[in-house]
Amino acid sequence: MKKSLAFALAGGLTALAMSPALAQKIRIGCTSSADCGTAMVAADNGIFEKMGLDVEMTRIALNSNIPPALLSNSLEIGGPTSSVFLQAADGGLDLVAVAGASYMHEASNEGTVAVIRDGVTIEKAADFAGKKVGVPGFGAYIHILFVRYLMENGVDPASVNLVETSFPSMPDVIRTGAVDAVLSGGPIVARILESKTGHLGPKFVSELGGDAPIIFYAATRDWATANPEAVQKFRAAIAEAAALIEADREVAIASVAKFTEQKPELVRATPPSKYKPEITADGLGWWLDLMKKQNLLQGSVDAANLLAP
Amino acid sequence: MSAAAVPRLRVNWLGLALPAGLLLALELWLRLSNITTESLAPPSEVFVTLLENLANGRLPAATLKTLTGAFGGLLMGGIPGLLLGIAFALVPALDRAMEVTIEALRPIPSVALLPVALMVFGFGYGMEFAIVGKSCFFMMLILTRAAVRGVEPRLREVSRVLRLSKPAMVWKIILPAILPRLFVAFRLGASLALVVSVTIEIAVNPQGLGYEIMTAREALRPDLMLACFIWIGLVGLGLNAGLLLAQRKLFGRAALAGEGVK
Repeated sequence: MKKSLAFALAGGLTALAMSPALAQKIRIGCTSSADCGTAMVAADNGIFEKMGLDVEMTRIALNSNIPPALLSNSLEIGGPTSSVFLQAADGGLDLVAVAGASYMHEASNEGTVAVIRDGVTIEKAADFAGKKVGVPGFGAYIHILFVRYLMENGVDPASVNLVETSFPSMPDVIRTGAVDAVLSGGPIVARILESKTGHLGPKFVSELGGDAPIIFYAATRDWATANPEAVQKFRAAIAEAAALIEADREVAIASVAKFTEQKPELVRATPPSKYKPEITADGLGWWLDLMKKQNLLQGSVDAANLLAP
Repeated sequence: MSAAAVPRLRVNWLGLALPAGLLLALELWLRLSNITTESLAPPSEVFVTLLENLANGRLPAATLKTLTGAFGGLLMGGIPGLLLGIAFALVPALDRAMEVTIEALRPIPSVALLPVALMVFGFGYGMEFAIVGKSCFFMMLILTRAAVRGVEPRLREVSRVLRLSKPAMVWKIILPAILPRLFVAFRLGASLALVVSVTIEIAVNPQGLGYEIMTAREALRPDLMLACFIWIGLVGLGLNAGLLLAQRKLFGRAALAGEGVK
């Protein structure tokens, strides 16, 4: 009995110790959204395979889990949002941007809105003061852009009662009156409008515009430096996938629906993402400035130093 | 619930009336009120989804991963906890020396260690073994220590009269005496391990039943999410029933002695 237990323990520990050695493939981790659409399309349409890359896509529950997953070699490439990436880099994690994924553009800016509970009047930035507003994540994409909107319109962000509300629970918190408004996008907005419990409020992203990267592909500097060939092939595959999506959006809808397990009609109803395979220091710099203004970064991160060669 | 109180499985029809009525009311409310929610689905839809996902192998595969994580952690944390628990109970000086350390580490919530575990172990079983192991280690340590201290003093006197060495006393007297209580600790540990495993999977680890819940939630599939809830409940129920049965088969009437530990 003792012996078999000892063997079981030893076996388990050996398997654990050996697991990084088995990692020949490139594991790409993304959250359940359309932002990593290019990687999903490249995986589904054999583009990675054609380039000689063995890729496995993994769904990650929280975007902020991506940097530590890269650091622990659980993923080779991940799709963090710009804010998550910059906060991780600011915190000392040695990450680099490998290729571009989704970018802010007119349709997605228009589609990211405040949805106001029926019976509440919010038409401009000043109306948010004193209201309870659900945001999907503090320090995340939507939150940062909303604070930008408030600050640009002379409203003190501290005067708005922001509460963290996950996307799937937004229709419920609006219906039950737990919040006055939610900041959302994609199918959730359509669901709330369909249920006739809320109406469209200020389009806080498109009012000020922007064309910076939303999500991009990142890796640790060590991995990117050690695998320059894989990085080049990955970029080429992403560029090919982006061109394929540009020609036929249905390709992206099929792959996004497969990866996220959302119904295709739900994905189709969401404003299409804009995919660009490149990532530049200017794009990262846009977020750096915004986040510094909001005191979300402590150190001095240099955007040019955050790009993989 | 004592083992002797349920001599055989009987269906409590009266007790089932309330949950069945509630399910029917929920079904009617969701179907008739035309409500939009991403958190609830009609029970009939949940039931069909549950059967579908059991049949296509998705839930069984996820269950295997969750149980591997839970039991791997239970063994890796529980066995050292058991050995130390015996040592602490037999050597009071050691117990006193370690008391501050143990009591300082024990209250740290396992889930609070997740960010560190993610950095150290990455995704996969390693993280689950470590976090579940931490929870089970302290629980087994404390329950084992209490069980050994509760051993009839005359039994120890017998071992002294027989001039048994310490290891022989542990093997021949202490272990057989605490075995039923240890099994209860193991049963409690198994439930704890399952809860912690699913929590880790919901929060961080992309595998197992917790991950299925998270995925279903993000895919706006409340039917699948609720089917996972129900399935986890059934797995927990089955696990406890299996262990209870094993306890009765292994220890017979002696199993009752262990119930006092709870």
